[in-house]
Amino acid sequence: MFEGYDPGTFYDELVAPDGTPRPEAAAMHEILAGMPLDVFEERRQLADLSYLVQGITFTVYSDGRGTERLFPFDLVPRIIPRHEWDVVEKGLAQRVTALNLYLQDIYGKQRILKDKIIPRHLVQSCKHFRREMVGLNVPRDIYVHIAGIDLVRDSRTGEYLVLEDNARSPSGISYVLENRLVMRRTFARAFEVSEVMPVDHYPNELGKILRSLSPRTGDRPVVVLLTPGLYNSAYFEHCFLAQEMGIELVEGRDLVVVDDVVYMKTIRGLTRVDVIYRRVDDDFLDPLAFRADSLVGVPGLMNAYRAGNIALANAVGTGVADDKAIYAFVPDFIRYYLGEEPILKNVDTFLCSRPDHLSYVLEHLNELVVKAVGESGGYGMLMGPSADKKTTEEFRERLKADPRNYIAQPVIPLSRCPSFDPATGTISPRHIDLRPYCLYDGEKVTIVPGGLTRVALQKGSLVVNSSQGGGSKDTWVLRGNDGGEA
Amino acid sequence: MMLSRIADSLFWIGRYMERADNTARILDVNYHMLLEQPPDTYKLRWDPLIAITGEKTRFYQRFQEANAQTAFDYLGYSADNPNSIAQCIILARENARTIRDRISRELWEDINGLYHKINKLRDEGEGLSRFCDAVKRGGHRFHGVCDATLARDEGWHFLQAGCALERAEMTARILDVHYHQLVEGPEILNEARSHAWVAVLKSVAAYEFYKRQHSQIEPNHVAQLLLLDPRHPRSVRFNLGVLQNSLYAISGSVPGSYANEAERLTGRAHESLTYDRIDEIFSRGLHDYLEEMQETCRTIGAHISQTYLYYAVVS
Repeated sequence: MFEGYDPGTFYDELVAPDGTPRPEAAAMHEILAGMPLDVFEERRQLADLSYLVQGITFTVYSDGRGTERLFPFDLVPRIIPRHEWDVVEKGLAQRVTALNLYLQDIYGKQRILKDKIIPRHLVQSCKHFRREMVGLNVPRDIYVHIAGIDLVRDSRTGEYLVLEDNARSPSGISYVLENRLVMRRTFARAFEVSEVMPVDHYPNELGKILRSLSPRTGDRPVVVLLTPGLYNSAYFEHCFLAQEMGIELVEGRDLVVVDDVVYMKTIRGLTRVDVIYRRVDDDFLDPLAFRADSLVGVPGLMNAYRAGNIALANAVGTGVADDKAIYAFVPDFIRYYLGEEPILKNVDTFLCSRPDHLSYVLEHLNELVVKAVGESGGYGMLMGPSADKKTTEEFRERLKADPRNYIAQPVIPLSRCPSFDPATGTISPRHIDLRPYCLYDGEKVTIVPGGLTRVALQKGSLVVNSSQGGGSKDTWVLRGNDGGEA
Repeated sequence: MMLSRIADSLFWIGRYMERADNTARILDVNYHMLLEQPPDTYKLRWDPLIAITGEKTRFYQRFQEANAQTAFDYLGYSADNPNSIAQCIILARENARTIRDRISRELWEDINGLYHKINKLRDEGEGLSRFCDAVKRGGHRFHGVCDATLARDEGWHFLQAGCALERAEMTARILDVHYHQLVEGPEILNEARSHAWVAVLKSVAAYEFYKRQHSQIEPNHVAQLLLLDPRHPRSVRFNLGVLQNSLYAISGSVPGSYANEAERLTGRAHESLTYDRIDEIFSRGLHDYLEEMQETCRTIGAHISQTYLYYAVVS
């Protein structure tokens, strides 16, 4: 399967520049190299079938009937040796701790603004800054319980960089767990020799944190997962996590607030709810406090929150930490709050709100990636080097009209990982990123080893988002530094 | 503690699956029976079928006459007919998908599989017979998977209640419409009568059971079996019994008592079906009796919703 494989000029995750497998990938490389195409193809189809049968699909409504598509899964894993992961893990823990301290501060004393580490106008003009949260005490002072920090490896230095923070409700963890399940069935032999670290404990860890937030004492707090409903593209994940954690999956219409207490409607009457793991955006959470047209929220929820009768994870207003313009200051947060140097670096970022940066960006549009600060999922983005003239000019006008809303970054030559190309029936290198999922319990950060590796399945493409034609891979963090022998 | 919405979904999964199954049975039996009938009775046969599904008004807004093709189009796949088989399966699947964390993986995969199967049959242009067959088998498998994989908790009883209520109402309606047509209908149908009664029995899978007890096809015996027999799983009495047990299990009531209006009405109807004799029912008028039974079923459904499933807006 590896015949004629050329790692090329980019950093390759599994293959060294001379074409030999890296030590951590040796066993898997040997298994794949020795596998006839038809056997691999058969396993691939079995894997796809298992996603289809379980209904792990996206719904695309373009043809009026609602077509369900698979999130493509690539059977070649990404493999990370232990010594690398140890650094990444420390860096993530540091970053998530600093993000929480920043949020506590912004919605509390605002020391960082007074000390002018970050401009006040930049924070307060942020679309996701919630005035309602200022002075509100959140349970156990935790704002971001669950963070998804997107990392890329820069091919030039081999270093991991933080590409963006997701501090609202990052999705994708269900793919991490399902991908592992499928891989264990498909390549049992590789698991035997490589000593891959497990990921299955994620729901358990999350459940523990959620229960610890309960404002009522008592050993069985009622925890629920609030979903926007069936038509949300992450609905499968909501079901999956609720089931794994053994908590109720609720929609807004299942909840009601009476006298600042949240209840769910059961066949035996109203039952009090203590903790909500919400997968509904701030804007839609409470039509009385935020968008009045929200049909998926719970009227009065913010009052109950303010009264301290309900815990929300993540807290409201955490978007002021993952705004892409705020991102540029996260290394400063780490220095300011923790007195440490950041372990994981940022990608260089131009803030279009700064006139000097804006004029540089406008002059170099065709070399940069431009991103809208409040968007995610690959929307509102310009890939300068590959965009056509018309799109570039449109972005130029938008940048001038609303500079606060944009940042720009140089194009990072993302590392690549061997991936199966169904068109040619061979394994070829494709660009990837990595989203680890970090859980914060107020004292320490727990990270399931690895995370979601997203892969740009189109040859040459640097865009890994599922909405833009990306797929995913299982991510292996090894207990040691080499992958053993097959 | 069971969320009302989840109980509601289970109740409606039961109803939609049962509705799809019954509609497929009626379609299939009618189709095969009519293959050997003279053409002039043809139209008179498809019309009552539309009536059974309660879709007469909407149907004749779309089609001029009821025949095998239009009935299949409308009752099988039509998206304009909220009670078409395909729509019922879509809705059962939507409900199952919404609560898939609360049902067994097997049940979800089964309903999901049936949905993909009927889509495939449509895309391949399969005819009525294969289609109905797939739906009937799907219905059987559904009950099997439920029985073999679901815990006997409150959710189970809401599902059972949905199936039983729907089946009771459907059987009453099948009997009502055919009886009306066969006994009070035009003379032309005379020679076809016993064929038609056979079709009725077959559409509720009761033909073999009937033949073991009666050699001749007699309307009152057919009515006796479909209404009052406690042994056949599609008789009205059998299903009201199942419904009653499930309602008791949910509320904790003991036999002979009731905790809410749904239980009271179910108990009263079940008593009547237990102690009334078929000749009494005939002398009072079968049609009125069946009409009242269907109305009772609808009222029971509304009371189950009111008691357990819907919350008035709290301000």
